Amino acid sequence: MRQSSGRKLTMHKKQQLIGWFFLIPATALIFWLSFYPMIRALMISFQGGRPTALQWSDPLTRNYQFLMKDTVFKTSLKNTFTYLIIQVPIMLVLAMIFATLLNDHQLKFKGVFRTCIFLPCATALVAYSLIFRTMFAYDGMINSVLMKIGILNEPINWLNNPGTAKAVIIIALIWRWTGYNMIFYLSSMQSIDYAIYEAARIDGAGAATQLFKITIPLLKPIILVTAIMSTNGTLQLFDESVNLTKGGPANATITMSHYIYNTMFQNNPNFGYAAAMSFVILILVAVLSAIQMKVGDKRE
Amino acid sequence: MKKLISMLLALVLVLGCAAFAEAGEQADGKLTIWCWDKTFNIAAMEKAKEMYQADHPDVEIDIEEVLSEDIESRVIASNGDTSTLPDILLVQDHSIQKFVTNYPEVYHDITDEFDFSDFMPAKLGLSVVDGRNYGVPFDSGTVVAAWRTDYLEQAGYTVADLTDIDWDRFLEIGRDVKEKTGMPMLSGQAGAVDTVLIMLQSCGGSMFNEDGTANLAGNEKLKAVIDTYNTMVAEGIFIEVNSWDEYIGTLSNGSVVGTINGCWILSTIMSLADQAGKWDITNMPAMVGVDGATNYSNNGGSTWAVVNNKDIDLALDFLQMYRNVDFYDAILPATSAIATFTPAKDAPNYTAASDFFNGTPIFATIVEFGDSVPAEVTSPFYYDARGNVGTAVTNALNGGDLDSELQTAQDTTEFTMGF
Repeated sequence: MRQSSGRKLTMHKKQQLIGWFFLIPATALIFWLSFYPMIRALMISFQGGRPTALQWSDPLTRNYQFLMKDTVFKTSLKNTFTYLIIQVPIMLVLAMIFATLLNDHQLKFKGVFRTCIFLPCATALVAYSLIFRTMFAYDGMINSVLMKIGILNEPINWLNNPGTAKAVIIIALIWRWTGYNMIFYLSSMQSIDYAIYEAARIDGAGAATQLFKITIPLLKPIILVTAIMSTNGTLQLFDESVNLTKGGPANATITMSHYIYNTMFQNNPNFGYAAAMSFVILILVAVLSAIQMKVGDKRE
Repeated sequence: MKKLISMLLALVLVLGCAAFAEAGEQADGKLTIWCWDKTFNIAAMEKAKEMYQADHPDVEIDIEEVLSEDIESRVIASNGDTSTLPDILLVQDHSIQKFVTNYPEVYHDITDEFDFSDFMPAKLGLSVVDGRNYGVPFDSGTVVAAWRTDYLEQAGYTVADLTDIDWDRFLEIGRDVKEKTGMPMLSGQAGAVDTVLIMLQSCGGSMFNEDGTANLAGNEKLKAVIDTYNTMVAEGIFIEVNSWDEYIGTLSNGSVVGTINGCWILSTIMSLADQAGKWDITNMPAMVGVDGATNYSNNGGSTWAVVNNKDIDLALDFLQMYRNVDFYDAILPATSAIATFTPAKDAPNYTAASDFFNGTPIFATIVEFGDSVPAEVTSPFYYDARGNVGTAVTNALNGGDLDSELQTAQDTTEFTMGF
């Protein structure tokens, strides 16, 4: 007895140690590839100067102070929130409608419809952005179709007008992401017992009542998840702004991430300022998610 | 347990070896070169490689196609560590100041190791930072106006009517041509301001003062240029498209009468075999009512940079090719790359007539234009200012007040410079 507790480990402790040993590689990788860069980025956001010879800013919050005076950053912030406020609700409502339609037990060829709506999510972001750019070009498909059927008399330069360019980005986003959110709704709808709907129908509940009184309350947690994910994704929007409109015309569609990219790679490289801006996005995502959690999650 | 430890050890060994192998990549008798544009820079480099290897058969030269933006991103991502970079890379003339200032670790100072005599002074100046040379000049971006003679003929004009004119006369012709053929004279990328800056340099203007400060607000030359440009766009004489591909598209599918751009655009035009004999070139219109207005300007052009901690001696020996008249003569017909090495002007191909351009000796003409291009002031913040001018031009076009838009551009540029 004494011998085993002194020198040799008990079976249980030994197993625990081996467990920790297996965790080391993953933990080390996460620290090295995720936490270390985050801490470095935070440090860089307080630094300035030439990229290969960064120095602490004086005062330390100089980059953050500049942020307040940066008109392009304000424009990008405004654009990003425009996308967020218009696109996310439309997309989630559409996803909910599609999911409800596809959840109908009498519907035929369900698999085909489901695939069609989900397929956009399988396309690469750059590829679909380029296709949308071609479609909405001055001599592109959209203009020629609208002119053929007589809606337009002369082509619209979609991507060269601040309003329509924003609209094109929002349309593209809705096309790309609605199916993705629909799959979440659909899968959790399928876990709702069909007997509940049958009982409701016997009690005289119509389709709308079923949707608002049964489906949506039961889907609340998943709606919350999709709302947070979409908000998060929209705040970090990059590919569409870069590839579809190049942020133009006159920065009317530039997003925050795109401006950060420009600060690093297009303009005179300014690592410290770019890092500071990305921390602003981090804070915005955290705050918005916290609000949504507070509002949406009423579980006791 | 033992097995696991030995596997981990093996992994560490392999990784360690790989790290070692990467470190010792200096004088290895092999050159890697990054550049872009298959019909132009790459074609020229292939020729240089062929001619160099004729004398140095054991030197291995690897030319990789990397887009200009990608070269710039990779230099930034390298953060001064040159092990991931090639021996020689191509730099846009207006990027050199920015990159050498920010990454002196990457770009080798070749002032004392290369003979810079006989290069065009204006071109050479672009790659000089603090009095030191950081690049071997390659092509000139002398601006040409290339016109479709068949379209002009339909409207009753010839290229002679578009030679040595000013923008007022150009607008008259443009309106007339548009009325008779329905076609715009020019096309360009919206917000990219290539044309605006071409016009600005043609009258000796710049976005910067001699002391390096931004010169946008109250810059009378710039204002006059933007006014002229926006008039063209508003009247449909200049059609704005959204991407570079669409711009090339307007030329290849013949939906514009012509283009005004750096002479490197001719390599693209000459690749449109079905349009042979339909083009001719001349000089660009001059600004009206502006001091120092000329019919000549410059756009684009690039320079070869040598990367530090690589096989520098070999790279410099290879780049001697860019002091070789025979080389420039050999690449000219296919690439239309106009040398900035002055002795090349006397090479036989420079005076030859071009069939594609109705027998005009285009290269001799371009070289002649090049002598009259006004000098330009550039800055490490060139692309920042350029982007801000693009915003101002677009906003003014959509009804904004040009003075206040230029003031915003000035403030935004000064904001970036103030870091």
